[in-house]
Amino acid sequence: MNPQSVTTLPTAEESSESLDPIRAMVSACIQCGTCTGSCPNALEMDLTPRKMWRLVILGRLSAVMESKTFILCSDCYTCTLRCPRGLPLTEAMEALKGIAFARKEARHRGSRLFYEKFMETVRRHGRIREMEFMTRYFIAMKSPVAPFRFAPLGLKLMGKGKVELGGGKSGDTPLGALFEKVADLERTPAATFRKEGHQ
Amino acid sequence: MDQKIGSALVVGAGISGIRASIDLAQMGYRVTLADRAPHMGGILSQLDYQFPTDRCGMCRMLPMVEGEPDKFQVTLKQAPSPVDPDCCIGCGQCSEVCPVEVPDAFNAGLTHRKAVYLPVPHNIPNTYTIDQAACTRCGACEPVCPTGAIRLSAMGRRAFRILVVDDESIVRNSLDAWLGDEEGYTVEMAASGPEALEKLSAAPFHLMLLDIKMPGMDGVEVLEKARVIQPALQVVMMTAYATVETAVDAMKIGAMDYLVKPFEPDALIPKVAAVYDAFQETGYLKRTVGAIVLATGTTCFDPSVGKNPMGYGTVPNVVTSLEFERMLSGTGPDAGRLCRPSDKRPVKRAAWIQCVGSRDLQSGADFCSTICCMFALKEAAVARTVAGDDFQATIIYMDMRTFGKSFERYGQQTWSTDGVRLERGRVHSIAPTPGSEDVAIRWTSASGETREEIFDLVVLSVGQRANDQTALLAEELGIDTDGFGFVRTVPFSDTRTQRVGVFAGGTLTGPTDIAESVIRASSAAVNASRTIHRAGGGLVEKTAVPDAYRDVSREPPRILVVLCRCETSAETDSDLDALSARLKQDPAVTQVVVLEHICTADGWNALTQTDTAGVNRVLVGACRTFTYGKKAHGLAASFGLDPSLIESVAMDDRQGPDAPATVAAIMAGISRLKNVSAIEENSIAVTNRALVVGGGIAGMSAALAIADHGVDVTLVEESEQLGGNLTWLHQTIDGAPIAPFLDDTIGQVDKHPGILVMTDSRVVGAFGQAGHFFSTIETAGEPTTTVEHGAVILATGGREAPTDAYAHGTSEAVVTQRELETRIHENRLDTDAMKSVVMIQCVGSREAPRNYCSRVCCPTALKQALWLKSRSPELQIYILYRDMMTCGLAEAWYTEARKQGILFFQYRPDRKPEVSINTGDKVPVSVRLHDPILDAPVEIAADLLVLATGIESRLPEALALAYGAERDQDGFFQEADSKWRPVEALKAGVFGCGIALSPRSIPEAVATAEAAAGRALTILAVERLPAARTTAIVRHSLCTLCLRCVDTCPYGARFLDDAGQRVQVNPAMCQGCGDCATACPNSASIVEGFSHRSMFGAIEGALVAM
Repeated sequence: MNPQSVTTLPTAEESSESLDPIRAMVSACIQCGTCTGSCPNALEMDLTPRKMWRLVILGRLSAVMESKTFILCSDCYTCTLRCPRGLPLTEAMEALKGIAFARKEARHRGSRLFYEKFMETVRRHGRIREMEFMTRYFIAMKSPVAPFRFAPLGLKLMGKGKVELGGGKSGDTPLGALFEKVADLERTPAATFRKEGHQ
Repeated sequence: MDQKIGSALVVGAGISGIRASIDLAQMGYRVTLADRAPHMGGILSQLDYQFPTDRCGMCRMLPMVEGEPDKFQVTLKQAPSPVDPDCCIGCGQCSEVCPVEVPDAFNAGLTHRKAVYLPVPHNIPNTYTIDQAACTRCGACEPVCPTGAIRLSAMGRRAFRILVVDDESIVRNSLDAWLGDEEGYTVEMAASGPEALEKLSAAPFHLMLLDIKMPGMDGVEVLEKARVIQPALQVVMMTAYATVETAVDAMKIGAMDYLVKPFEPDALIPKVAAVYDAFQETGYLKRTVGAIVLATGTTCFDPSVGKNPMGYGTVPNVVTSLEFERMLSGTGPDAGRLCRPSDKRPVKRAAWIQCVGSRDLQSGADFCSTICCMFALKEAAVARTVAGDDFQATIIYMDMRTFGKSFERYGQQTWSTDGVRLERGRVHSIAPTPGSEDVAIRWTSASGETREEIFDLVVLSVGQRANDQTALLAEELGIDTDGFGFVRTVPFSDTRTQRVGVFAGGTLTGPTDIAESVIRASSAAVNASRTIHRAGGGLVEKTAVPDAYRDVSREPPRILVVLCRCETSAETDSDLDALSARLKQDPAVTQVVVLEHICTADGWNALTQTDTAGVNRVLVGACRTFTYGKKAHGLAASFGLDPSLIESVAMDDRQGPDAPATVAAIMAGISRLKNVSAIEENSIAVTNRALVVGGGIAGMSAALAIADHGVDVTLVEESEQLGGNLTWLHQTIDGAPIAPFLDDTIGQVDKHPGILVMTDSRVVGAFGQAGHFFSTIETAGEPTTTVEHGAVILATGGREAPTDAYAHGTSEAVVTQRELETRIHENRLDTDAMKSVVMIQCVGSREAPRNYCSRVCCPTALKQALWLKSRSPELQIYILYRDMMTCGLAEAWYTEARKQGILFFQYRPDRKPEVSINTGDKVPVSVRLHDPILDAPVEIAADLLVLATGIESRLPEALALAYGAERDQDGFFQEADSKWRPVEALKAGVFGCGIALSPRSIPEAVATAEAAAGRALTILAVERLPAARTTAIVRHSLCTLCLRCVDTCPYGARFLDDAGQRVQVNPAMCQGCGDCATACPNSASIVEGFSHRSMFGAIEGALVAM
């Protein structure tokens, strides 16, 4: 759905409840645009962060999900630091990624698989192994052209010695227990989450 | 009337403190005004320009605690002034020799000053003061002062005298070094007991450090004898370890403490400091006062604290709004030329960034500082006049809050000029521009594109912050502060704290602008006065002490000329002799006397004791400060001459007495004196009754405040019951129910023996002047009555403006805010049956027909929305606004509303929402609007549409004119001056309050009512109203009754008498401006003391000398 199309209120979208926790995070927004002005990735985004928060507040889930703005958030926390209302914007960006991945949004399939395979490698080894991670990613993508898209970048990184080709020099430290605990925490409500000492 | 004099303490000498003090003093109280700073004026002394006039106008306003109300014991720590203000002649020689340079806080740190300095460079008279924190006490200034005004050596620690008694010279010397050279006390030494006693007999000491084991007389014996000579002397014994017991014994006979030798400075110095502190406290001022008015104000937010995203102090050419104000000023760093700090290049492009430290939770401010929008607009307007028309101002803001009286028009006028641009947006941070001293800033415009621009200068509109001293003061007084540090008040009042007898004026109870500060100050003053009055201390009748002035009206002028001189030299002597001889050629000059240093106490004594038996006029020629000072008035009493017969002229102390300018001034003075005569003291009788028109909350509050002072009040109300708008209001935004407050107020009015309530009544005609008005009042079904009164307060209020916009009147589903309030009040609103409510703000406001902000509508919309949300959390509420005017602490409600899920849409006046009414089963109202953030249309299906139509005045023009007052272009009461005299008309004795002045909330209306009552009491509390010394008179023999003077008088002080035969002047209303004298074609109108002969004589005298 195009954000430029008519917004009808009260919200007609049936599925917008999943946005409610994020709406609550940003409902005190005054649309001043500080987030957009301070975002280093704003130029790459299809919607400015301010527009996206506006859509969130208006409950337009499908328009938000169509955007790649939240995917492009690099968690630099500048907007959170500058927001005059002190809103947890970076946290809200992450929550939007969570919704998009949980909904298995086709548009964000590549990003979702990238995240998933990255974390899978970390879980297995306690660290990233570039070759294994990329192989898993390419398999999951089921796209024969994907490796070629990454080839120039891969070669560049290899040239600088940034890609570890063989097995790890250090021993593996699987993080299965840690991941399970986190998954456990994520199933519990946010209030408990905070009590455990997380932000 | 009670004749006891009450007294009050006012803390803080900013604009509010001064206003409150003047009000209380005019009511007859003894007022103590205290401030931390060495000068009065607060922040306003730093602001040269105030809108809407873009000039200063403060002059327009001028004509530690325990106990119960009426008995506050206050202790004021008074720092002794190191410069005697009576002696300082402002010559500046001290400043020239001072070696210390510090940033000048007056110019917001943009310039430097010496440790001895003029706190406000443009004060008159102006005396130097010493910055005790910066001063090194080098003493260089003291010997150069020509009048001995600096008494640094008798100040502070130097005044604290310590006597060290020890037979060992090494102990004496090291104590001298520690206490004298390092700590700055005055230290004297004695090597033996007898020598010590000799010194004690010769001069007073405050502390003695006394050795026990000394040859001859031992320490204990010295102590016994010393206590006979100086019983108050504090003694610390110094003892070796072996004689500690002796030291303990010594304490039994009066020693304060002991030290075991050998000791380090760390052990000694705190003990000495403790004695010194106790000594200092004896100098504190103790007062018993009946009430306390706090007006300690706020400070500006310091943008360099915390994260400092704006790079203040690190990025060049980023200044605060206060610094910019100083940069514009003639007394500022560049003498009024607008240059940027880093390279002094003229500023041509400047940007203002709003809300720095306001509406910002990151810096702990969930409030709006209220003043910054207008401050920035004014600075932009003034900067264009200072820097030229090619000056480009850009104001980057979130909401433009032009909510006060006349603010919207001033704003429109400012931003409609080509050089001023408004940009809705917010700058996130400022970083230095490498290789340039320009400032580059980036923000996202309303349409969503990112803008990057380069400016010569960026001004941070810094917000207001509670003073850090407020918390201490509040704790000391037992009053509460809110989370932001502002003083909390009781409901429905902006000035009453929870503690009876303690009141707060100005910005202490929340950020506000000058006019509201002045109103709150007057309100606090009148409430303080009520407390004192209730406890038995009354207003005092000002009895004009009949000074025993000699009647010299029939004598020919015999003038005594007194000339002052600063230095004695052969050259000056001969110059003065020549001048004296020249003056004596005039037969009117009987005697010429030369005195030395009139500015010193000795010189002043010599002047007052000068024999004036043979003369009847006195001319004093002295330094500039003398002529400006209040001293000239004091001479009248000692000479037994009317003050108008004593004249002082300025002699320039940098030039010799024979300088042409000096001679001209003296000759002009002599010629003027020849033709003046004593002015008769005028006064008019006052009718001690007030008339209050309008029985709403403002009228009732004003009536109660006046009646509580024992002055009778007639309260006229048009409708059949008191209460006005409060009768249909349900509750306030913070949930306080209005009905109990209204019932209580009506109850007090009804029960008050001093208030006569006339309902169903209207004022149909009036005439008269301050002190004595006649009003004709028509009551339904009763004969017309006439009331005589000394002052009138117009509290006619306002009403919600009617509208037919947005389909109002065609559907039950479209209502105004008042209609919604009534439906809620009468339980006629079924919130469960509704799914969505839309509110549209600024319907017919801030544009024709009501081109002003009605101030209360935004908070009202929030109030209703929050109430609806609390009733029915599922209800969707949409508020369509232009700029949310939630000024001051109301901002927190705006935050709360958004948190509750209420949605806000901004709209522009050229793109208003569209409304259509649906029929049948459809949701009754459709609202279409354009969301500027998404740049996309929004369509809302609403069960209810609520319109905020604003407030219109109910002040009939005929009523205002009957009392000689005027209405402004919007129909509200025209005040004498929007900032300095906000509740009174230009015509004396006529006041306005409440919504009659301009739209306002209940506490604000009450504050104006109390302020108006206080101002009215300055007339009503006296039996005779003294006139100004300089007033106009009419020479009836020359008057042709052309009435030009009556038309021209700006104060309405002139009128034709009952018979229509003579033009009369009301001396209490005449301000002596002289407009009538210039308008009169026949010289029949003259200002007393300024007769043609006297004025032409002065000019002639000056010309003769040249």
